Amino acid sequence: MADTKKMSRKEKKELKERMKHLKSGKLEKRYARMGYIFMIPWFIGAAVFLAYPLGSSFWYALNNIRITPLGRIFNFVGHGNFTQILIQDPDFMIYLVDYLTSTIISVPIIVVFALIIAMMLNMKIKGKGFFRLIFFLPVIIVSGPILGMLNAQGAGSVSAIDTAALSGAIGSVLPEIIAKPISDVFSNMITTLWYSGVQILIFLSGLQKIDKSMYEAAKIDGGSGWECFWKITLPNLKSMILLNTIYTVVFISNNSENPIIVLIKDSMFSGTKEKGYGYASAMAWLYSVVVLILVGLFALLLATRKDQYEKQVKRAMKARKREKRNKQRIERRNRRNARRIEKQRAKGKITTHSTKREDY
Amino acid sequence: MKKSRILSMLLAGCLAVSALAGCGGNGGNTAGGNTGNSGGEAAANTGAGGNGGSAASVTNDFELVTVDGSTHQYKKYKDVTSDNITLTYFHFDQDETVKLLAKRFMQIYPNITVNVQYENVSTYNTTLSTLVSNNQSPDIIMHSDCDYALSNMLLSDISAYWNSDDETKNVADTINSAGLGTYNLEGGMRYSVPVKFFPGAVFIDRNVLETLNLKVPTQQWKWADMIQLIKDATVLNSPDGQAYYGLGYYNRLDSYYGIAARQDIIGEFGFNGKTFDLSQWAIGEQEFANLKLGGYIAPQTETQAMEDWSGDWEGWAGNTGHAAVFSEAFWTFQNTWNTPAYKEAYNLDIVPYVIPAVSEADAGADHHSIATIDYGGITTSCKYPREAYELLKFMSFGIDGWYTRCEIYSDETIVNAMGTALKYDVMPVPITKDQGVWDEYIKVFCAGMDDEHVGLWKDYFKSCMQPISFGWTSIAGYWNFCDEYFNSIGIHDLVDNGTAQAADYVEEANRKANYYHAQAMLDYFGPSAYNVLSESEIAEYEKMKTDNQ
Repeated sequence: MADTKKMSRKEKKELKERMKHLKSGKLEKRYARMGYIFMIPWFIGAAVFLAYPLGSSFWYALNNIRITPLGRIFNFVGHGNFTQILIQDPDFMIYLVDYLTSTIISVPIIVVFALIIAMMLNMKIKGKGFFRLIFFLPVIIVSGPILGMLNAQGAGSVSAIDTAALSGAIGSVLPEIIAKPISDVFSNMITTLWYSGVQILIFLSGLQKIDKSMYEAAKIDGGSGWECFWKITLPNLKSMILLNTIYTVVFISNNSENPIIVLIKDSMFSGTKEKGYGYASAMAWLYSVVVLILVGLFALLLATRKDQYEKQVKRAMKARKREKRNKQRIERRNRRNARRIEKQRAKGKITTHSTKREDY
Repeated sequence: MKKSRILSMLLAGCLAVSALAGCGGNGGNTAGGNTGNSGGEAAANTGAGGNGGSAASVTNDFELVTVDGSTHQYKKYKDVTSDNITLTYFHFDQDETVKLLAKRFMQIYPNITVNVQYENVSTYNTTLSTLVSNNQSPDIIMHSDCDYALSNMLLSDISAYWNSDDETKNVADTINSAGLGTYNLEGGMRYSVPVKFFPGAVFIDRNVLETLNLKVPTQQWKWADMIQLIKDATVLNSPDGQAYYGLGYYNRLDSYYGIAARQDIIGEFGFNGKTFDLSQWAIGEQEFANLKLGGYIAPQTETQAMEDWSGDWEGWAGNTGHAAVFSEAFWTFQNTWNTPAYKEAYNLDIVPYVIPAVSEADAGADHHSIATIDYGGITTSCKYPREAYELLKFMSFGIDGWYTRCEIYSDETIVNAMGTALKYDVMPVPITKDQGVWDEYIKVFCAGMDDEHVGLWKDYFKSCMQPISFGWTSIAGYWNFCDEYFNSIGIHDLVDNGTAQAADYVEEANRKANYYHAQAMLDYFGPSAYNVLSESEIAEYEKMKTDNQ
């Protein structure tokens, strides 16, 4: 390949044109084909299970739909479903506020709990595998009707906590709209903590990837465990914290126990003519926009702060680059000056006086 | 670095949107190819006889056949197809009973295969919607709330079969006179038939009356007699240390009063077939609230008051022997009070009374009373409506079906999944007035009772055949009214705790009920759906809607 650095703009253009008409080699073609073949299942899956349901769900949201044995009857209502939900359905807004408050409270609790448990499970203890299994088991239990049954039996709350008294105390300080979701979190504390199985696994994998020599070096320098946590563990797990936060928000939002999901499902199968699939789809879209905003907020909160160490390294790299550029500039200038002096001397414009002793 | 962060944010967004928005729609099938923008196409095939090669009416021409395991002679109708066909019966009835009935039906018509599908009532509508949207609509369905069935055009018009069938002339009077299952359309269409019938009843524990030295009422008692009895039987400082209460309730008395008040009322909330008048309901509601506030009503289960009274948090007034009158559901007698274990454990003498009428003239004769009736119908996609009608009849009001039911209920070795004999599970009452069926039924129902009690039950059954359904099963728009107005503002609670007077809501509730009913009638039966309303009906409901908006 020609050295593009020394080529003019026109030459570069011509080369690009020529490259376009060049045929790829067999090996290159095969690689490209294989790449597409590997991508096809994803594209098909995304088209069938993501794009099509999303598109049809949005189309449903703009219609009033009746599911009859003779077929589906669509009546286009435009934004009618959305307007009806926002103006006439008080339940949706109440549930939405409850959801936002409880999610904002629950997510940090779940993530912090998962981090603590992951750190404990990462320690050198006997029966580590067994304990990991114990903490992962709720992931299987909390998905499905078993959770509902357990909650109905009162297994979702910590019996040692007097939730009634707690709710009363919170209610006396805060307005009901905020107090209710907060007291709900306390009365469903066990369930909330059960949601942390996957997050524990993610944190565990993150913890195992941290280079142990960093801890050793910190210990040699006299760093305590507490300092190691803040200066080594937490910065290294930052990306995992973001991942777990988003996962937790999505999990809570999509959970079958979530009252909004129940409301959407009830609307879907409601006997009321105004509701049904279209209304439920509109509700789902409104809800997903709210969840998206929530995910965005959490992401902004956690992703914007850069790592201090990374910052310093970047700053140093920049300074070094700047220094190198300066050095090169000085060298270029020196060379240029030397050439100019040489030329003038050759023309005899510059007379050099000898400094040797014998010239006198 | 920046790009990858944007990409990851986008992916997270996609995950959230796809996980949540996707749940709004089924994203799946298009049944029947009718996906147009109007209901006109779907409305074309909503009458029975319009599909397949089925006969369009019942000829009443039959031969008598006997089947293995029964001495009864069954009518095998000649206009039922001889082709091999399959019918799907989707229900929330007692599953073992329905399966046995289906088996017997298949013995009578060996060419018809009956596929029985059971679904619990709590998930019934959801599962049915899923089946319908997946183009797997059953041929025959049961339904509880009619709004769900009508708004989704699940039911076809079977009036041609009903009107030509001899057996339909001999069903409980109000089925025809009050148009139950017809939704009071002027065109005389019928979309539903009563499948399960549980008459309304008031039960009295005669032992309590005897202990309190109170007179046992007659079957011709009046509403005022019942209220007085409830008051008289309330003795809070009884000699045995446990208070006696006049009423142990399951059904609220306002539902009873609203129907018992006048004979021109053919639905809850004073429904007369077209409009609502809640003034009678309000009297019953207030009376019930006053009984509650006056301390005449026994505590409910799982309350502190129940624990204080009976010493058991989960206690039930019906087994304390300290409650005189009960507004329990009909089935409570057979599946609780009449079970061998219960009779042995508690010293109760529970006898049935018809719900008393308010006026003396009505009380002296057979009169309307509220009843639990679950309906069924043939779906609009059914290809063999004549055969489906025959199966539906066999499962519900048909004479042959009821003979089979009596056989099943009399055999106590046939049990449900819990090991309970089907008689003690949920045994309904025949909706037919056929004397042969009733003789068999009373034999099964009163097995083990002495002559006096058999006589009391016979008297009761004679007087309970003027049933009026609960509103959500038989009045279009009723559920929407309750859901969006009545229950959402919690009228029962407000009146019960004395915060409000029932009469204060009458005017507003009338307007709301009429509005929701008119809107539902137009939505379900108007041009965009079944399209069976006459022009005068459309104008009338439009006016009703506008006037009450």
